[in-house]
Amino acid sequence: MAKFRLDRIKPLVALAAFLAAWWIVPATVKSFLKVSFAEFQAPAWVATSYLDDLEGFWARRSHSKVELIEAGREVARAKSLYQFNAQRKETLENEISRLEAILNLPSRREFRYEVARVVRRDLNAWWQHIIVRKGKDYQIPEGAAVVFAGGVVGRVVEVNAFTSRVELITSPNFRMAANFEGDERPVIYQGLAQGGFGQPIGTVRDAPQDVVASRQAPLRLVSTRLGGTFPPGLMIGRVPWLEPGSTGIFQAGKVELDPRLLSLNEVAVLIPLYPIDLETTDAP
Amino acid sequence: MSQYDVHRGENPRVLFFFWIVVLASLTLIVGLGWRQLVADKKYQEIEKRQTERRILKPGPRGDIYDRKGNLLVGNRPHYSAVVYLDDLRREFRSEYSKIIRAERERLIQAYERAPEAEREGTAPPNPNYNELQWVARQNVIQLYIDQINRITSRDDTISTRKIIRHFNEQLLLPLVLVEDLTPDQYARLIEQVPVQSPIQIHTDTARYYPYGVAAAHTLGYVQNVNPDPDVIPSDGIKTYTFKTKRGKTGIERSFDELLSGLTGWEMWRVDPLGFQDSLLDHKTPKKGQDLVTSIDIDLQLAAETALGDRTGAAIALDVRTGEVLTIASHPSYDLNDLSPFIPRKTFDEINERGAWLNRTLQLSYPPGSTFKLITSIAGMRNGNIHAQTIHDCQGVFRLGNRIFRCHARYGHGAVDLAAAIEGSCNVFYYAEGLQMGIDVLSAEAKRFGLDERTGIEVPYETSRLVVPTKDWKRETVGAGWVPGDTANTAIGQGFLLATPLQMATVIASIARGETRTRPTLRALTGEEAQQLDHGGEPMGLTLSQRAELWEGMERVVGPNGTGRLVQIDGLRIAGKTGTADFRAHGQEVNLAWFIGFAPVENPQIAVAVMVEGTRASDSYHGGSTAGPVAKDIFLEFIKQYPERAGFPVAE
Repeated sequence: MAKFRLDRIKPLVALAAFLAAWWIVPATVKSFLKVSFAEFQAPAWVATSYLDDLEGFWARRSHSKVELIEAGREVARAKSLYQFNAQRKETLENEISRLEAILNLPSRREFRYEVARVVRRDLNAWWQHIIVRKGKDYQIPEGAAVVFAGGVVGRVVEVNAFTSRVELITSPNFRMAANFEGDERPVIYQGLAQGGFGQPIGTVRDAPQDVVASRQAPLRLVSTRLGGTFPPGLMIGRVPWLEPGSTGIFQAGKVELDPRLLSLNEVAVLIPLYPIDLETTDAP
Repeated sequence: MSQYDVHRGENPRVLFFFWIVVLASLTLIVGLGWRQLVADKKYQEIEKRQTERRILKPGPRGDIYDRKGNLLVGNRPHYSAVVYLDDLRREFRSEYSKIIRAERERLIQAYERAPEAEREGTAPPNPNYNELQWVARQNVIQLYIDQINRITSRDDTISTRKIIRHFNEQLLLPLVLVEDLTPDQYARLIEQVPVQSPIQIHTDTARYYPYGVAAAHTLGYVQNVNPDPDVIPSDGIKTYTFKTKRGKTGIERSFDELLSGLTGWEMWRVDPLGFQDSLLDHKTPKKGQDLVTSIDIDLQLAAETALGDRTGAAIALDVRTGEVLTIASHPSYDLNDLSPFIPRKTFDEINERGAWLNRTLQLSYPPGSTFKLITSIAGMRNGNIHAQTIHDCQGVFRLGNRIFRCHARYGHGAVDLAAAIEGSCNVFYYAEGLQMGIDVLSAEAKRFGLDERTGIEVPYETSRLVVPTKDWKRETVGAGWVPGDTANTAIGQGFLLATPLQMATVIASIARGETRTRPTLRALTGEEAQQLDHGGEPMGLTLSQRAELWEGMERVVGPNGTGRLVQIDGLRIAGKTGTADFRAHGQEVNLAWFIGFAPVENPQIAVAVMVEGTRASDSYHGGSTAGPVAKDIFLEFIKQYPERAGFPVAE
């Protein structure tokens, strides 16, 4: 009979010992190790991201002069359009401020934005995160809204020294208050475990019974100011149908999100200029 | 003797025990077989009762609409923050251990500090484990409430009593931490409470009334109650129920069965401690049926606005079908203040204003001169009043040694029936009433149903309806009938009591030439309207008599009539004003009445308005106080139904 060799199960014993040790380690130590690990990895991600940018730069340099001149013109056109829109926005903002002053309305919550490059996408059935290349160095706060040209991206859930982790709107752990465009009544939007490479989806519930959606005329689900995190009117997705929910009181349905969410390169973090002080919100 | 015992199979002692074992084994096997194969159903039932729990979920109530499809009563979301206690069990245990440790240490220290002579027993006392368990639970739950309070800027707490009650009675249902969240608080909780948190946002419904005070008494409100025991299946499985909404007053009560939703259920498997383990089956609750009422919200709003802050009632009926187009009672209350529950302060405030009372049908009043129409009909049918009947009104009528006055101090002069109606001449009716006698008058009033409830689908219609007779006075007052009583009755005073709704049915009946109108709050279909039977009989007047009566009523709304303020260009209105004296609030007050219908050539709408004085200084008159309210209703009717009012309709 072969002699039992203890050294053969050494790896299993080591793993068991590690798990046992991890189990009894205090939560603060675990948290410290987790943050340290993220900070340790961050320079590699950031460096990779810069290298990607450099690669893009050299790829563009390889274009012919004619192509570059044409691209330059396109940029100039786009720039002038954006400048025009920026001026228009400023005029409208002034007009809104004037009307608010006349009507004695409370001022809207205002944000400054930080544009940040996406350095890593962590998308799977369990979680949907992206890492952006700005963190405490740009005063990114936890819980800040993250948006892109197509609407809501998600919310900052972890801020490191030079990076931040953003929970995507597609994540099952992401939930926000929303409303259908033109209807002030709040509903709940929540991400959903994603099936694979198809269009990202989420769910909407607590929709009033008189709201009707159809494939021909899908409803636009937008952010509401009520939750305090997002400015109002940002696109979340389209709702092609609604059906009675399990309570028999409200409707629920799927939300079709922007497919670009899965290939983001750049996002904007909205940083509240006057963060809500929860202790004093009921003050006049 | 051999060195070894030799075993013999036939040893009787061993055999005896062998058979005992065999018998016992057989008993066990048969018993097991019996329980497994024969009595299995019984044990399945017991297992089911022990391990399964049912949760009943009432369905939302149906909506109530006006006749044009405007929503009068709907459901709005009612948000609460809740926790399932099952999710907190680990925290309860952890908090409990912490508290127990601290308490033990405290008791030991207290024991050691105490002088030996004062110590009870030889060891420190044990903590009160049961009490500390509840304290631990309360601490954990309060922590979550504090988290909600921080996010929503509220200041809620929870009592141990509520927790104990929930544990004992509703363990499977979520424990409500914070109720009636505003949309703003709801949205903040959704965004700021992590998805994995035990705090969940529970969305239920509360009744919602888009028009607030409009038709408040008629629509009614609901009350959260435990469901009827009948809806709980009697299969022995323990059942938990969410509260359901039951109509307490108004249409909500009358049509409660129709509006109530179908109850859904969830069947849960529970663990030995009674916490939920897995969902076995469920049935989704269903919304109740919608109800389309006969009310026209535009007419209703016109009536409510016209009544304003005054105390009174206004009713408009469809002359042909008896459908109630408008039914307003003032003072009123905002139904939204009563949903999802009635705060004590609101209840007291409404009570103080006397606004709980539905003045259209819960209170009865002397109808005043509007009753003269009944007296006129009685007189004509009895042969007392005819085209040549004329009385000279000098402002007073002497009956024995009593003087009865007309409201025209210097009299109306010589008046016939039409002029008596136009000028509301009391002397004419004193004389005619005395001639025909109380028996004829009472019979006629009863023929028009003034001694019966109308049967409208609103609960609590008063039974204090008085059409006095000689017997009635003898039995109730304990005195004999005197001619003065007849004179008073003839002009709608004295003992007569009727509700505004009854007077509306009277004028609708007169407009149709019949004696009864059955008012309804349901919007009738064309077919139902065709098959309608109001249950009365023809009024019994000849064409000329009817023409004479109508002429008088039309002259009331003419340039010299008492209801001249009701005049509307292009619309022929027939009506009758009334001003009655009434004792209320410990003082003598005026009641102003107007009843009428239009258009005279093809009656479509019948209106009754009553405005009640609340102070002795209130000088109300039918024509000047109640009349303008009726006018506003007629004007809105023209606006909403120009064709029926005989007005040209824009293409």
